Amino acid sequence: MNILEIKNLHVSVLNKPILRGLDLSLKEGEVHAIMGPNGSGKSTLANILVGRGDYHMTAGAILYHGEDLLVRTPEERARAGIFLAFQNPVEIPGVNNVQLLKEAFNAHRKYGQLPEMDAMSFRTYLQDRTKQLGLSDDWLFRPINVGFSGGEKKRNELLQMLVLEPQLAILDEIDSGLDIDALTDVANGVNALRHHRRSMLLITHYPRLLEQVHPDKVHVLIGGRLVATGGMELAVRLEEQGYGWLSEVAA
Amino acid sequence: MNTTENTYRDRFTELEMSLPGFASLPLRHLRQEGMQRFIDNGFPTQRLENWKYTSVKTISQRAYQVHDHGCPGLDPSDLLPYLIAPVGVYRLVFVNGWFSRTLSDLHDFPEGVRVQSMAKVVDATPRTVEPYLENHQPGADQGFTHLNEALWSDGAFVLLSPGIRLDKPLHLLFLTTSSEKLKMTLPRNLIVAGAGSHAWMVESFVTLGHAAHCTNSHSTIILHDQAHVHHLLFLGENHSAQHVGTVETRLMGSSRLDSRLFSFGGERTRQEIHVHLAGEQAQCSLDGLFVGNENQHMDFHTSIHHMHANTRSQQLYKGILDGHAHGVFNGIITVLPHVLHTQSNQLSSNLLLSDTAEIDTKPQLEINSAAVQCSHGATVGSLDPEALFYLQSRGLDASTARSLLIQGFAAELLQRITSIPVQAWIERQFNKGDNHHES
Repeated sequence: MNILEIKNLHVSVLNKPILRGLDLSLKEGEVHAIMGPNGSGKSTLANILVGRGDYHMTAGAILYHGEDLLVRTPEERARAGIFLAFQNPVEIPGVNNVQLLKEAFNAHRKYGQLPEMDAMSFRTYLQDRTKQLGLSDDWLFRPINVGFSGGEKKRNELLQMLVLEPQLAILDEIDSGLDIDALTDVANGVNALRHHRRSMLLITHYPRLLEQVHPDKVHVLIGGRLVATGGMELAVRLEEQGYGWLSEVAA
Repeated sequence: MNTTENTYRDRFTELEMSLPGFASLPLRHLRQEGMQRFIDNGFPTQRLENWKYTSVKTISQRAYQVHDHGCPGLDPSDLLPYLIAPVGVYRLVFVNGWFSRTLSDLHDFPEGVRVQSMAKVVDATPRTVEPYLENHQPGADQGFTHLNEALWSDGAFVLLSPGIRLDKPLHLLFLTTSSEKLKMTLPRNLIVAGAGSHAWMVESFVTLGHAAHCTNSHSTIILHDQAHVHHLLFLGENHSAQHVGTVETRLMGSSRLDSRLFSFGGERTRQEIHVHLAGEQAQCSLDGLFVGNENQHMDFHTSIHHMHANTRSQQLYKGILDGHAHGVFNGIITVLPHVLHTQSNQLSSNLLLSDTAEIDTKPQLEINSAAVQCSHGATVGSLDPEALFYLQSRGLDASTARSLLIQGFAAELLQRITSIPVQAWIERQFNKGDNHHES
């Protein structure tokens, strides 16, 4: 069964059409990459999936586990297992990571009709995950993303993902603004999150990340539509030849 | 003269002989002078620049009873909701303006610490306080202070001997039991920190019940050389209460005052904090957090006077306003001519949670010396929609996300409290207010 099914999706932002007939199906456990030049609609796809305001579907359908996704609020989507790793996560002074993780984790537990985890067990649960990502002990008590470097912000997104264990993770340019070492760390983090019950959408400009993550499929998004689908060979060709050869298809 | 003011004079004439300190000629004179100045100046009006945003008609046009002894038999358990902690805190309790021995906890003060009822001290040993009690300069905007000078009932007298370190926080709890009668309580406190002494003090104002009342309070804090005092003022009276308060402080050489104001209650609140940096290297930090909703009105006036070289001050006042609440922050910094190498920072930062909430914030710098460092700023904003969305995208519902961001805005002021029991208590008070607001 498809965990995510997008049919003929048209999305406008401030009355400007961005996505113009996008079709995509994602099965449980699959990892798909979406590549495309700037302005092709990659982030719009991520934003409509998590319910950000100002993004309006004008035609088409998005089904999550076979049900209409867009009737749900952002928090309902999160509790139902959808997670977006933001391209530019916001800084929140005065609220530390552990406060967010605790509230978010308990909201997920409540949705799943599970009891809240007691403070001690939750602490251990968190420490296991910070350790897994090689984060320092004081990380949890730092205010959310405040003063974090680009790489730290991405790792913080991965930590949240590791704690919330989503069924559908959308990683929006998780590789942007990283040096080679940080990219490898993030790629390792993504690989650690792969799971036969977890599907992922990797949105990226560059094949470098894909070389380390090995997605099941690579799609190319140009002009609001998927114009090509293939395997890693497609990503490699894009690296060598750019997007020019696909523009005709998109026109 | 206005008839309301005359009512207070008549009451003063009637009560004078029974007021604390009557036997001391200098103290008697201070009360008489205060009353005369009150009659001359009357209650402040909005025509005065310093009272521009705050009408006191709810006080000046209502007939308040002063010195109402009607003190119900309170049980110590009635106090529980208002205590910092059941143990580990020294406590002086004042009910309707009068010291209550049975509700206070004054056991085991270290030697060299004197903590007593002011009324008692001015009657028994007036000479102890005579050097410190003086009236404020007369002024049209000082009506409430003059009224307090004339009619104060009781309060705390705290004297720390040189070098004394108070091992536990001292809580001065002012509780008004609201009743059918419209009461005005007039507490007066005097805190003298000897050279090199150190203490944590909390002054809190609360109401038992929902009826309207008025508090007109005055505190004087004197810090001798190298003394360090933490003074936290908690304004948590009911939403029908009128609160006017003044804190006057004088800091001698190398002394340090950490003033922390938390204002959550009251219908109409006006609090002034005045700091005189009256010795070289004296320093103060003034923090304030005020939270208002519905029709609450909160007006804070601070003044910091750099009178000597190498003095430092910093201020951070934050307001969180919802509903139709109105906040005012006015901070004056003065540096006298020829006073060199002073540093002062002031920031007023405000969060408006509704379109109808309002803030007026104004720094006022009167700097007459060249070699100074001074910075000031003011910000007004609403909750960051990006941050709200981020939290919701992690599964938090909108109201939890909102609460978390509001807490985050207040966090640095809550976290800077260095006494663990006091910090835990203030956080509880803050979160209680937030929950109340959500419901």
